[in-house]
Amino acid sequence: MNYMFAQLIREWRFMLTQKYILVLLLCTLVISGFSVWSGLREINQQEQTIQRLLQADEQDRSETQAKYSDPGYLAYYSFHLTYSPPSAIAFAALGERDIYPWKHRVRMLALEGQIYESDGQNAELAQTGKIDFVFVLSALAPLLIILLFHDLYASERASGRHDLLVTTAKSGLALWGARAGVRFITVILCLMLPFYIGTWISGSSLDSVLQVSVWSILYLLFWTLLSIWWGKNASSAPRVASGLIGFWVLFAFIIPILGDLAIQKAVHSPKGGDILLTQREAVNDAWDLPKETTMDAFTATHPKWKNHVAMESMFEWKWYYAFQQVGDQKAESLSQAYRQAAHQKYDLSGYISLISPPLLLQRQLTRVANTDALAAFAYEQQIRDFHKRLREFYYPPLFKGLNLGRSQLAIMPRYKPEAHKTKNTSTTPQLH
Amino acid sequence: MNLSAFSTAYTIAKDEWRYWLRSKIAITVLIIGLLLTLSSVIVTSINMLELNHDRHDLQNAAEQTFVEQPDRHPHRMVHYGHYAFRLPSPLATLDPGVDAYTGNSVFLEGHRQNSAMFADQRQGTALTKLGSLSPAFIVQVLVPLLLILIGYSSVSRERESQTLTFILSQGTSIFVLIAGKALALISLIGLILLPLILSGLFTIGNGENPIVVASFLLGYAFYLIIWALMIILFSTALSKNSESFTALTFVWILFCIAMPRIASTTASTTVPSAGKLETDFTVIAELRKLGDGHNANDPAFAKFKASLLAQYNVDTVEDLPINFRGAVASRSEAELTTVLNKFAEKRMDEELSQTQVSRNFGWLSPMVAIKTLSMISAGTSIETHHRFMRETEKLRFDFVQSLNKVHVEQLNYQDDINRNLNEKSSKQARVDSANWQVLNDFTFTPDSPSTRLQRSVSSYLQLLVWIIVLVGFIQLTGRRAQ
Repeated sequence: MNYMFAQLIREWRFMLTQKYILVLLLCTLVISGFSVWSGLREINQQEQTIQRLLQADEQDRSETQAKYSDPGYLAYYSFHLTYSPPSAIAFAALGERDIYPWKHRVRMLALEGQIYESDGQNAELAQTGKIDFVFVLSALAPLLIILLFHDLYASERASGRHDLLVTTAKSGLALWGARAGVRFITVILCLMLPFYIGTWISGSSLDSVLQVSVWSILYLLFWTLLSIWWGKNASSAPRVASGLIGFWVLFAFIIPILGDLAIQKAVHSPKGGDILLTQREAVNDAWDLPKETTMDAFTATHPKWKNHVAMESMFEWKWYYAFQQVGDQKAESLSQAYRQAAHQKYDLSGYISLISPPLLLQRQLTRVANTDALAAFAYEQQIRDFHKRLREFYYPPLFKGLNLGRSQLAIMPRYKPEAHKTKNTSTTPQLH
Repeated sequence: MNLSAFSTAYTIAKDEWRYWLRSKIAITVLIIGLLLTLSSVIVTSINMLELNHDRHDLQNAAEQTFVEQPDRHPHRMVHYGHYAFRLPSPLATLDPGVDAYTGNSVFLEGHRQNSAMFADQRQGTALTKLGSLSPAFIVQVLVPLLLILIGYSSVSRERESQTLTFILSQGTSIFVLIAGKALALISLIGLILLPLILSGLFTIGNGENPIVVASFLLGYAFYLIIWALMIILFSTALSKNSESFTALTFVWILFCIAMPRIASTTASTTVPSAGKLETDFTVIAELRKLGDGHNANDPAFAKFKASLLAQYNVDTVEDLPINFRGAVASRSEAELTTVLNKFAEKRMDEELSQTQVSRNFGWLSPMVAIKTLSMISAGTSIETHHRFMRETEKLRFDFVQSLNKVHVEQLNYQDDINRNLNEKSSKQARVDSANWQVLNDFTFTPDSPSTRLQRSVSSYLQLLVWIIVLVGFIQLTGRRAQ
């Protein structure tokens, strides 16, 4: 034990004398720190935005309610905020939140016409991507590890000390193990320390921190072992590193890109524009169709209102909202297929990620942080559910021709984001 | 450099090529590089041409269905709305830029400015988060790495095998040696850029301006030359192959992998921009003051009503020779559009200043500089998307106001008022479908060549400064090595 400890101390001292390793480690620490700091800021901004939106939304709706009392007008002019708050650990994996919307305002009109609107971020910045902890870990860390470990043997061979070292050392493990161990622990510290500080600031759950830690360390260990193994018998360090960087390019770019091409070819999805077009045609044609046609289609799915569909004027709100709903119904099969295709693509990319460690890590961590496409799909479903509740709230006054009083307005549905379950981290692809 | 020095440099370059062709790694890397560039050019070209075709058809279909609508109340058509699609520019085949990240179609309707919908990324696989198979990405990120793998030892190798002193003692200047090595790398760059150049010529055939294409390609040539110079610099300054390799790889990681994302993250954290949703609240509050254009009795229009009555010298709106409801709709649309445009412009300005912050990182990383230059030249940068939004807004306003004009002039006020009474009155309150021919043909074209060239000046400047600084450093280290 004492002997091992002495070995480690020696290797630690030896590492401190190698300037380029120190520069590498320092850069790792700085970049990891930057990613965590900016991630925390981003999440903070998202939370503040949600708070401001909630306030503005509340005020906007109360102004609308002061102005209108007719349920038809009220439903037409009342928007409702829905949102998906970031999880505490989202700072480490910002995920798809810059591509999928996490805030949305809907009203009682046809949902298919509203749900694809995106409150997008700056597209040029989104195209570049952000530097979050997951990116540092999955893309940058392997390269740093390659630089740190590829010349473990080769550098000693090149300087002619290799054989001397091997013969004087008690065992190979004492020599190379201590050297690799010291480097590995230091690089993990430099990468993970900022992350742990971040989790402490954000108050992430222990469970999620543990999951991220396990995946991260496994991932780093994979690259370290690969680097050491690949360089075991080589004498030219650059040659070893070239091969390792080749692996990295293969895992990080080639496999994902080919996988993407294959999946895009294999999965057929209706065009988003077609959903919108179908919905628009249905809604607009309704103005010229006999009212019974619309009402029949509506009561087919909402039999409750069968006896309330008679109309006294050429325009009544209940008919207006009925044809909005019928528009959604007409577009439903397309919309389902569209969502299913997106889901299927996500599932299939799970298979691809099995042969690409960087992707696998990204997938696992964004799942833990609930910032992946699945989270976005779940949020979309929550919007749909909320829209349904909203409609069910308005239908009674609309079809019975009542005004909405204060007491009823008070029980108007409000959007509540569903709490995210960190437990559900299964990424085994499931096909439909 | 005199003639004999040039021929020596040429010999050295030829020799370097011979060395590469003998080295298994260099050959593999070279083949991979060519394959990647070539396949990315082919795949992206096919993709973008398909997209172009699709969107063209969709645009025509949208115009077709609009004019084919039956007789209707004109305001119904305002809500029926219209679609506009953004056609990719010819050079988007080399750099798709923001195309997949912004929606590429906009639904245009009365009283609202919708954002672009259906960004391709949202229907994507999330597999291409690290990089995509676009020629731009391949050349910006992977080709420099390949150049490093091939060239890291160009000078350090001579030093390590002690041939350097030999060469120098024979009277060959170190600068001639450097020039020869650089020549070899530059010819390699020419080879790798060949697919890009061919594809660039192809885009000229598709209507792209030749000067823009030349500027686009020249930018990439400059960029890769910067990497060649960087390789020469480190290879000359450091005495060992392995040191040169490690240093170059590290620089590459910083410049190509870390810096672009540090730039975009810095931009979005230092210049926070309120999303559309948030500004919408302010817009709604301002709009509420303007009154609802559907409701001609809205008190907000009292003044307008009075002025109209005075203008036509009548006492009631019924006596007006024009349709008062149409007039209100038209006026409120104009007022509302002014407000909407004010906020839209503000948001675009914010996005632009964000982007500017990110682009300034071009002084710290040549990759950021070429990325900007490439997107701007190709017409796939955020500016082009903004122009798309502005042009579609104009299209929207024009067709809505044309319909409102029909509403004002061709629909009797009494008929309009009675539109909901019964079946007959509803039919009465319609206008002939011949009026739907109000759409202007919409074809989105990229910014003019001169605009794009002007915008790319600062990125060119960044690249040139990089070249000058690197040449300066090479001179310094060369003199030391002499």
